[in-house]
Amino acid sequence: MNPLVVLDNEAIQALASPHHPKHQSTVNHVQLLVRRKKRTTAITLVAPTAVRVEVGWDRASPQWAFLNRLPIADAHLDEGSANKAAAIREQAQVSVADAHIGATVQSAPHLDITVLTSDPKDIRKVVGGRPVKIIRI
Amino acid sequence: MTDCLTTIQFADDIMPGCRCTTVLWYSDGVDTGDALDRIAQLLHSDMSETSNTSMRIPTPLREAAILAAKELNLAPSATALTTMALRATLEAALTQAALDEHYAQYPETRPKLADLAIAAANLDGNPLAADPERIRRAAAELASVHPDPDPDDVLIWAEARAFRS
Repeated sequence: MNPLVVLDNEAIQALASPHHPKHQSTVNHVQLLVRRKKRTTAITLVAPTAVRVEVGWDRASPQWAFLNRLPIADAHLDEGSANKAAAIREQAQVSVADAHIGATVQSAPHLDITVLTSDPKDIRKVVGGRPVKIIRI
Repeated sequence: MTDCLTTIQFADDIMPGCRCTTVLWYSDGVDTGDALDRIAQLLHSDMSETSNTSMRIPTPLREAAILAAKELNLAPSATALTTMALRATLEAALTQAALDEHYAQYPETRPKLADLAIAAANLDGNPLAADPERIRRAAAELASVHPDPDPDDVLIWAEARAFRS
């Protein structure tokens, strides 16, 4: 199973805006992932849809042109994910977006999971027992 | 035909000597930016609709793909394996093209070798991630003796230096 990389709210905001203080750090990680993809390491990047809602990323909007060109898939908030996210939110007292990140991580079949985040503490609260690399951008 | 030539150069990495025989449908009146947007849109589309296509690929490659799918469990079928590889290649090319356009607009955001090596250490859980300055020094040293080092080479170099000292 190929590696999975999940982006949190600030990682998306940082990637989208060259003026964001964490833009460079996020670009560095994405550039490295692309280098590895070229070496046939299939890496899946995802943004949970609740995270997209929170940061206002509309895939149909030209304002997000740069991110729209990057192969960042949606992790959908379907029935199962919504149930899991609701339980995580209740238990960990985190935002809806972070709860959806938790649901995405906990239900992913991938063995190698990374979360790019500005808030490792909150992410640790939501990943359950999954071994996840949490990288502060 | 510029777009087609670009495709030939890119395909040369995969199949040396292959030549494009089909004029691409977007070769007239679509600039690279529009093509990138369209490729991104297509890659985000519902992939349940499929088309039959006739592609000539080298016979040994086809046989290797069938064997790898069956014996190495790389994919449910050779077709699925081909599709996965094609998707990964397109995603990498699209992302690099989008990043290159971004770097052209904001040159200061182009990552340096040390930045990529630090990101590699972070992603791999390498203990060197806790010492970015050591990685920066290793990147500078390596860049002075190697024409085109890879971020992973920097980490190996930094580890080797730490071992020696």
